[in-house]
Amino acid sequence: MDQFRRIQTGKKGDIFMILFKDKKILDDTVLDEIRAEVAQLLGKASGPDVLLDFSEVDFMSSAMLGLLGQLHRKVSGGKGRLRMCGIKPAIFQVFKLTNLDKLFSIHKDAPAALATFT
Amino acid sequence: MADLTTPAAKGVDVLIAEDSRMQGKILQKRLTDAGHAVRWAENGSLALDMARERRPDIIISDIEMPVATGYDFCKAVKSDPALRTIPFILLSTLADPIDIIRGLDAGADNYVTKPYEPDYLLGRMAALLATPLGEDDLADATTLEVSLAGQSFKVRAGRQQALNLLVSTFENAVAKNKELMVSNQELSVARDGLERTNQELVSLNAEISRINTQMIRDLEAAAKVQRSLLPADDVSLPSLDIAWRYVPCQSLAGDFLNIFPLDDERVGLFVVDVSGHGVPSSLMAVTVGRFLTAKVADSSILVRQGPDGRVVVASPADVATQLNRLFQADEFSGLYFTILYGVLHVPSGRLDYVCGGHPALVRIPAAGGPPEFHGAEGFPIAFVPEVVYEQKSLTLSPGDRIFLYSDGVPEAMDKDREPYGEEKMASCLDGGRGGPVDASVASLLDAVEAWCQPNGPLDDVTILGIEWKP
Repeated sequence: MDQFRRIQTGKKGDIFMILFKDKKILDDTVLDEIRAEVAQLLGKASGPDVLLDFSEVDFMSSAMLGLLGQLHRKVSGGKGRLRMCGIKPAIFQVFKLTNLDKLFSIHKDAPAALATFT
Repeated sequence: MADLTTPAAKGVDVLIAEDSRMQGKILQKRLTDAGHAVRWAENGSLALDMARERRPDIIISDIEMPVATGYDFCKAVKSDPALRTIPFILLSTLADPIDIIRGLDAGADNYVTKPYEPDYLLGRMAALLATPLGEDDLADATTLEVSLAGQSFKVRAGRQQALNLLVSTFENAVAKNKELMVSNQELSVARDGLERTNQELVSLNAEISRINTQMIRDLEAAAKVQRSLLPADDVSLPSLDIAWRYVPCQSLAGDFLNIFPLDDERVGLFVVDVSGHGVPSSLMAVTVGRFLTAKVADSSILVRQGPDGRVVVASPADVATQLNRLFQADEFSGLYFTILYGVLHVPSGRLDYVCGGHPALVRIPAAGGPPEFHGAEGFPIAFVPEVVYEQKSLTLSPGDRIFLYSDGVPEAMDKDREPYGEEKMASCLDGGRGGPVDASVASLLDAVEAWCQPNGPLDDVTILGIEWKP
C-alpha cells in the first residue's frame, strides 16, 4: 500500500491512518506533494474517518494548516471524523497561535486517537 | 592502389621484424588473411637469421627495435649478396625527413608510416613485387649527395631503389595528405555544428533573459500593487504615534497591514497574514485588501453609507464574519489567512478588536508593569464556514502602546530552528519604553533579523506599533 514518498498509510477498519514521514514540513514543494498524496489516498471517499500522525514531524510551517483545513472540510462534509496525534510542543505552538488547537481533535498518540473513533 | 594487389602479390613468403607483440600479431593475421605465408621475428638480428635460413619474397621491418634496429637489419640484408634483391619495407612512427635519408642509405625499398591502413601496406607490397630489383640495378649503386633541411648527406643507393623509396615516400605523403584533408573536412563540419549549436544557445539565452526580464517586471508590478495595501511611509493621524515595518521574505508576500481613519473619531487598523508566500499568497492578499478599505464607494466591508448619509462603521466581529463568508475555502490552493482587526475610538482610547487565528496584540502600559498579550477566540479566515468571532475591547491609557505583528516575528527561527518566541518579543518592546514608537518597531525588526542569522527570516515579517497620546 506504500506507494507514497511523503506519507505512510494504513487502514484500521474504515479509518484511514496517515503518518507524515517528513521531519520538516516547511517547503512549499514538500507541502504540495503531501497535499497531492493525501488527495490520491482519500480519492472520492465521502466523509472518511481520518487519523493524522505527526510523530515524525519536528518542524511545520503554518501553510500546512491550510491542508488540515481542507481535510477538515472534506471529512466533516460527510459523516467523517478527523483526529490528530503525535504533535510535538513546537508544532502544537503553530496550532495554538492560530486558535486551531480548539478546532481539531488532538490526541497524545495513535492508540489514544483510535480509541475516540468508536 | 588496390588494383596493384595483383596475383603476383598473392601467396608470397613474408618476413616480419616487429618488437611489439600486439602490432606483430595484427600484421601477421592481416597478411595471413591475404593469403601470404608469414614468419615473424622480434628483432632485426633474429629476422636476419630467419632470412638466411629461408629466403623470403619480401621483408617488412619496424625501425625501433632492440638488439638490431630496422636500419641495421636492412643494411645487413642489402649487403648480403644472397638476400639483397629482396624488397625491403620499413615501418616507422618517425616523421622526421632525416629518417627517409637513413632508410635510403640503409638500402630500404619502401617506407610506410605508422599508423597505416592494412590495404595501403598490401598495395605497397604488390607494387614492389611487380617491379623486382635486378642485380644490375644494385650493381650501379653510386654515392649520391642529398641536401635536406639544410644538411648535406652522402647516400649510397641504386637508381631503381632510390626511385622506389622516393616514390613510396611521396605516396605516403599523398596518403597522409588525404587523411589530413578528410580530418580537416570533419573538423570543418564539426566546427559548423558547434557554431550552429552556439547560435542556438545564444538565442536561447536571449529568450531566457527576455522571459526573465518580463518576469522581474511582472513581479515588480505585482509588488507595487501589494505596496498599495500598506500605509504611507509617513502615516500620521491626530493623537496617535504610528510606526510600521513590512519585510517580505520573497519579492511578493502574504502579509500586509494598514491603519486609516474610518470616520471622524475612529481609526481602523489591521495586520493580515495569508498562508504561504509568493504569487498565490500575494494574489489572495491583494483580493482581501480590496475589502479592507475605508473608502465607502469601494467594496469596503469596514464602512458603508447609512440611510442618513453618514458613514456607518462595521464592528470588528462583523468584519471577520463577513470576510469568512466572502472567502469560501478554496479547495484547490488550501490558502487561508489570519487577521487581527481593530477599531480604535480615538477620543476615548477604546479599542474593539477581533482575532481570526491571529497572534495576540502586545500592550505596553504607560504606567509601567509588564507587557500584556491581548487575544481573542476565532479561527483563521476561510478555514471553517459559518463560525462566530469573539469581539473584545481594551481601553488604553494615555501613553499606552499596542503592537500588532504577523507570526513571522515570534516564529522566526534561528539556525537551530529555535523560535524567537513571544517572551523575547515582549521584552524587546518593553525595552523601547521612553523612546519613539518607531525606534521600538525598528529594534524589534533588528532583533528578529539578528535572531535569524545567517540565513535571514523564512517568513514575512510585519510589525505595526501605535501609541495613544490624547
